[in-house]
Amino acid sequence: MFNDFLKKMMGTGSSKTDSKDVAKKRLKFALIYDKLEVSDDTLRCLHRDIIDVISRYFEIDQEAFKMDIRRSDDLSALIVNTPILSAKRHVSSQGQR
Amino acid sequence: MRCILDGRIIVITSGKGGVGKTTATASIGAALALEGRRVAVVDMDIGLRNLDVVMGLENRIVFNVVDAVKGKCKLKQAAIKDRRIENLYLIPASQSDNKNVLAPEEMERFGEILRKEFDYILMDCPAGIERGFENSVASADEAVVICAPEVSSVRDADRVIGLLYAKSITPKLVINRIIPEMVERGDMLNHIDVVDVLSIELIGLVPMDDQVIVATNTGTPLVLQRKSKAGEAFRRIALRLNGMTDLPIEVPQAEGHFWRKVGAKLGLGK
Ligand SMILES: Nc1ncnc2c1ncn2[C@@H]1O[C@H](COP(=O)(O)OP(=O)(O)OP(=O)(O)O)[C@@H](O)[C@H]1O
Ligand SMILES: [Mg+2]
Repeated sequence: MFNDFLKKMMGTGSSKTDSKDVAKKRLKFALIYDKLEVSDDTLRCLHRDIIDVISRYFEIDQEAFKMDIRRSDDLSALIVNTPILSAKRHVSSQGQR
Repeated sequence: MRCILDGRIIVITSGKGGVGKTTATASIGAALALEGRRVAVVDMDIGLRNLDVVMGLENRIVFNVVDAVKGKCKLKQAAIKDRRIENLYLIPASQSDNKNVLAPEEMERFGEILRKEFDYILMDCPAGIERGFENSVASADEAVVICAPEVSSVRDADRVIGLLYAKSITPKLVINRIIPEMVERGDMLNHIDVVDVLSIELIGLVPMDDQVIVATNTGTPLVLQRKSKAGEAFRRIALRLNGMTDLPIEVPQAEGHFWRKVGAKLGLGK
């Protein structure tokens, strides 16, 4: 584009990043965060359910169980960390109800 | 049951306030009426009515949308006929109530009545995502989301788009208040950026235009102002909604800039 050429000729616009690009980047992240926002209630239920499911297969230390949502530039992850005390024997394919 | 002869109800919404919902409703409504369709524009901003002044019909209000929905008057009594544009009617908001006087179920029933009388019904939605939004969307078949090329407006548009999808409505996008000089400098999101972020179908790009305020000052329809760029953009949006889907979307351009003119002469401009 002729204007871009002029900008470069005049030494403007070549080094500085356009503020609209900053806006777009910030927007993209804001929208991801907005959608991942989960209420405390939801997190508490999820916490309980995960413990329930894992407990069907393993003896776990419920006190030391940790759950967290981590966000980095391009991905979000649900991180669950739990010490396993022992495996349970005789687990059916349906799990133990 | 809906019949094919029934009118289409289109909600004009944005989430964020002040991005141009009312301006768009008045202009698109007028343009559709100029195409010979029977149009009702409904001011759903109960308690903060404005569509009436934008259209220059404020001193003809007797009944309002709340009266019509509650059955205190007939639809014909609440619908004010525009004297300049044939087939254009305004159903004004009430100024003394608040948004909770109406419920979505009532609006659904009212929508059925409107559909029988008009080809197009445009709902001018209030800002926000609370009851006023719920009421405006309740009977809608389609939605037009108005968004300004600015971070907070795009974010709010995204939120509203999510809420519309949840109601099985696939919204279309209008970007309003574009300042081409700023876009050119890289200081304003361009339409490609906005569409990329929101990923919905674009149906129009409207520039910032002094004529919008001039038209509002006098209460005259913007689309009758031949030299208004915003008016022309809204007219093209109306044509697209009315079935002319292959009408190209024009990108607002900055005013004749010396170097651009030279560039264009040399065949270098865009
Ligand atoms: N394309 C435009 N060019 C210039 N001014 C504009 C344009 N679009 C809207 N405006 C102005 O911006 C202001 C807000 O517009 P409008 O009332 O249509 O927004 P709104 O979304 O209906 O606001 P609210 O959320 O308060 O209902 C008005 O003063 C209007 O004249
Ligand atoms: Mg408004």
